[in-house]
Amino acid sequence: MSEYKYPIVKSFVSELRRIFNDPGVLVIFIVATLAYPLIYKALYWNEQITNVPVAVVDMSNSPESRAFLHSWNASPDISLTYSCTSMAEAEQLLRNQKVHGIIYFPRDFERQLADPLGQAHISLYCDMSSFLYMKAVYLSCNQVMLESMRNIQIDRYEQMGMDKEFAWALVQDAPYHEVALFTPTGGYGSFLIPAVLMLILHQTLFFGICMLGGTAREENDETYTLASLVGRAGACFTIYYGLAAILLGFFPRLFDIPHTGAIDDILLLIVPYLLAVIFFSLCVSVFIRNRESGLVLLISTSLIFLFMAGISWPKEMIPDAWRYLSYAIPYTWGSHAFIHINSMGASLLHTQGFTASAAHEWVALWVLAVAYFLLACVLFHIRQRSIKK
Amino acid sequence: MKFIFLNIWRVLVRELHMMFARPLYLFASVGVMLLSTFFFLTLMKGGAAEKMPVAVVDLDQTSISRRLIHEMQATPSVDIRLVTNSYPEAREAMQQGKIYGIFVVPEGFYSNLVAFKRPQLDFYVTNAYTVGGNTAYKQMLTMTNLTSGAFQREVLRKKGLPDDVIMHRIQPLTIEGHMVANPWGNYSVYLVSTILPGILGLVCIMLTIFAIGFELKARTSHAWLRAAGGNYTVAMIGKLIPYTVIYIVLGIGCHLILYRFAGFPVYGSHARLMFGLLLYVMAMEALGITLIGLLPTLRDALSIGALYSMLGFSLSGFTYPQMAMLPPVKALSYLEPLRHYYLIYVNEALMAAPVENSIPNMLALTLFMLASLCVAPRLHRALVYWNYPLK
Repeated sequence: MSEYKYPIVKSFVSELRRIFNDPGVLVIFIVATLAYPLIYKALYWNEQITNVPVAVVDMSNSPESRAFLHSWNASPDISLTYSCTSMAEAEQLLRNQKVHGIIYFPRDFERQLADPLGQAHISLYCDMSSFLYMKAVYLSCNQVMLESMRNIQIDRYEQMGMDKEFAWALVQDAPYHEVALFTPTGGYGSFLIPAVLMLILHQTLFFGICMLGGTAREENDETYTLASLVGRAGACFTIYYGLAAILLGFFPRLFDIPHTGAIDDILLLIVPYLLAVIFFSLCVSVFIRNRESGLVLLISTSLIFLFMAGISWPKEMIPDAWRYLSYAIPYTWGSHAFIHINSMGASLLHTQGFTASAAHEWVALWVLAVAYFLLACVLFHIRQRSIKK
Repeated sequence: MKFIFLNIWRVLVRELHMMFARPLYLFASVGVMLLSTFFFLTLMKGGAAEKMPVAVVDLDQTSISRRLIHEMQATPSVDIRLVTNSYPEAREAMQQGKIYGIFVVPEGFYSNLVAFKRPQLDFYVTNAYTVGGNTAYKQMLTMTNLTSGAFQREVLRKKGLPDDVIMHRIQPLTIEGHMVANPWGNYSVYLVSTILPGILGLVCIMLTIFAIGFELKARTSHAWLRAAGGNYTVAMIGKLIPYTVIYIVLGIGCHLILYRFAGFPVYGSHARLMFGLLLYVMAMEALGITLIGLLPTLRDALSIGALYSMLGFSLSGFTYPQMAMLPPVKALSYLEPLRHYYLIYVNEALMAAPVENSIPNMLALTLFMLASLCVAPRLHRALVYWNYPLK
């Protein structure tokens, strides 16, 4: 027994030594892993986009249009910064990116509203250079429109001879109440940062392991025994378990990123996630000839992994071929599991009652971890034989 | 003068030999571009989120609630995956990422509606997945208004009003939304237009750092300078010519794929947009020279280059607008060439703005090229004296 144990410990220690003696790897493993979340947090600090400048073209120049603009301007989302006398003037402002939206009231706006049979139109032009502009401008304007529409309806029903009470009840026949769940601010950072944290762990580990593999190969210092596989994986796991706990457990609590999940669930999620990523990376690292080759993989896969997982772009809209491929990437399962637990309050250990379980993704990560471990054994074996020759 | 051209030629030939002796990096660069192009163009083929899964909690269980479900299912943007009478069950499905929204029809909805007791419709959307959540939100908001409108129509019909009159009573005010330059709200056009050039830039900066840094790592920089007759400028020009040609070809290819093959719209000038892209790839090339000049160790420069340019995707402001960033972050964003290309893209492809609007960004990209000249003495010394760790 001890003769098996010994090489594992030996390769574990020597891998740790290699990592800590390699500034390049340390920069990726420790500095990048800890600095990147801070950078992303700073980047998305304000979460929401507010006061998007909008130009007004009010051809009707009526009390009604002014009242509409007044209530719209009260919304934090937009700010009516320019009042134009013509559409051409407003278009000029949009073209020069001074505004990101234009609202246009036609000349007959007031007349159509006054006419009990009329229908008034407002035109809204949204800058599509960022979808967040469009969201801010369009949704806030829509809210004001629905609000004003109800008032107009009540007026018209009263004109028809309904009593005010009844008109009001009719217009508000089925009021609605909307609740945005899980991320209180509904901000961009709250949405993206949890996914980015998982990606940072995935990609720094992936790149670092490829870099270590490439360096060993350049220096003819390779061993591909089972003991070295376990020892190397153990060294990376030891370092990353602490890092992952900081990133996933501590960081969201410190920086006010959604963190409804239980900490023990997160600590439990980290285990198969790291193992899957480590064995996945070790499999790939067998093919890496140079220290720098891993970079090609890093830059080419980061965005692909992020999009393929179906977080920014919904997973239901991803073509089947890409979706099936994404199942083989630990990030796909890990990111969703973390979002479900951390942001939406699903759980692994505390699933009594109606708390959803994230066990599905957790088991998938274990399956990947085992599969990549077995694959790594095979690849290491083949590689070891080819070295001996 | 004649010698200079001869030496440039010699360096260039040497570089081509090196390139094809180690074709991995060349193929990898082109491969990364091809793979990314293929991936992003096939990922969002429709360009709009459709049939987002939602749940309906039907506590009413009447003909009207069933009709509501039926009508909602007929809309293109949502797909009712779950109809249940238990809100916790629906919430659980949401926590598992199976649905993006929950629409609740309360108990006694129909009877309260006809009694004018104003029953409340609730809907819940997830913010943890924004595109799915937003799509579900918009559709459910529309549904509540349609439901309300349908009921008003029934009441007014009973009062004997003709349908066209009713229509205007129910909908006296409308918003006509115009999505400027992307009338379909196509997500693919929006994202891929900046992501692909971003990846191309990443390839350029990495390959440039590699091409120069490898001479240090492999200790071949003396041979390189010798081929150039000891002249640093000649050495750099000769080495960079083939790479610049590759970047320009990739840039033109990227432009043609996006705006000819995939048919993304350009409302302004194709020529200026493509010119902007070429300036951008050369700015990234120059940034690569600057980085290897500042950190003349291949692996350090490569790592920093990768970390720096990955940030460009966020700092360019095409997803999260620059106006929402903190002032110091805003200032940093100008140090990312991708930010300038993105602005040129907005001016040319979307806004059809006059050329003056893009000129500051084109100048900024040119500044990146000039900045790379500042590291020349330092890089030259490194190539001669190997005064930095070579590995």
